[in-house]
Amino acid sequence: MSPARMKMTGAVSAVLVALVTGPHLLAHHSFATEYDRNKPVSVTGVVKKVEWRNPHIWFYVDVKDERGKVVTWGFSGGPPAFLMRQGIRQDVMKIGDVVKVEGFRARDGSNNASGGRVTFPDGRSVFTASAEDARPD
Amino acid sequence: MRTCLRTSPAIALAAVAVLSAAGLTGCSTAEAPQQAAHAQDIRRGPDGKPDFSGVWAGPGFRHTGKDTDNATVRLYTDAKMSAFTPEGRSLFLRPHTGNVRLDDPTAVCLPNGLTRQIPSPYAQQFIQTANQLVILYEYMHFFRVIPFGAPNRAHAADIEPTYMGDSIAWWDGDTLVIDTVSLNEWMLDAYHPDDGGSRWHSDRAHVVERIKYTDRANASYDVTIDDPAIFTAPWVENWSMQMKPTWKIFEFVCDDNDRCRGGNCTASDAQKTSTQ
Repeated sequence: MSPARMKMTGAVSAVLVALVTGPHLLAHHSFATEYDRNKPVSVTGVVKKVEWRNPHIWFYVDVKDERGKVVTWGFSGGPPAFLMRQGIRQDVMKIGDVVKVEGFRARDGSNNASGGRVTFPDGRSVFTASAEDARPD
Repeated sequence: MRTCLRTSPAIALAAVAVLSAAGLTGCSTAEAPQQAAHAQDIRRGPDGKPDFSGVWAGPGFRHTGKDTDNATVRLYTDAKMSAFTPEGRSLFLRPHTGNVRLDDPTAVCLPNGLTRQIPSPYAQQFIQTANQLVILYEYMHFFRVIPFGAPNRAHAADIEPTYMGDSIAWWDGDTLVIDTVSLNEWMLDAYHPDDGGSRWHSDRAHVVERIKYTDRANASYDVTIDDPAIFTAPWVENWSMQMKPTWKIFEFVCDDNDRCRGGNCTASDAQKTSTQ
């Protein structure tokens, strides 16, 4: 990641504040029916794709396992309308960004999860989860 | 739990709501935003009635007075509810079953239903004419077309139960009154399995919304729930909504990319080239 990309602008700062101070609860899906709050997950990898679509955004992160094999994790976030009203646009997370993502695994055991917190190498930490979702400690 | 009066449903609901708005019954609450707007300060239509047209952040937001409002899932307040009938508790609180269609039907893109749509944490747009009010709900693109008419008039006789029910409206001074019957038995609100189950109303539910400007940008939004199958008396929830001149309602397509429906995820194209 380039230094320029890592530099946090005022606009991005405002976005991050909005993400961090976002609501605790928001509806569409029921978190409990799709994700298991007893199965936290934390991965670090490279953003591969961002889907800014209803009913919740999804973003995908390429993660290398212990043997060097790349696994693409999918993380569900908040609804686009909610994020846009917080001043958050889809370029808040760009392809190629290195991120640490903490969340809770899908109940089916696949490499999908509710994406609770995203942390960038410079220390910025943002909540991307739908607000009804559990958040990492 | 609290107890309000019930006589005949229409009279009792009207009385409870009116007295509640005036702070005269046990159904009102101190925190309710009941300050009346100065009559000359609010927007009015050509007919002189308050004009609620515009995009609103409804009760599903913590109102900040700014363009960026905080969405939240707002539940009906236990302390405001009346006592249960003998069968009421079992009809009201449904234990977690593991069947998503029962635990939270919205998780498979079924509707909120009226009582859950009112505090939905998405924008809603009011379009008001002299004859009717149209409410466009961003969440799942629901809408209501609500005719104005005489106070306390009867609903049509041939209506079928639906998720949003049959709504009619009238004016009580500067207060807009929306009276709804013929609702499906459905979820009351967004109470979650993690809360211990889901909460429902019966198909006998009668809902009265009373909306009144408290200043140019804010309105009180009182919801009276009369459900004789579950509660021994009507009760009132006191919420508010805030006008958002800079907002518009966004598209919301529930089925578009709902990838982990019911807990069974489908792989995205982004994942199909990697190890799953």
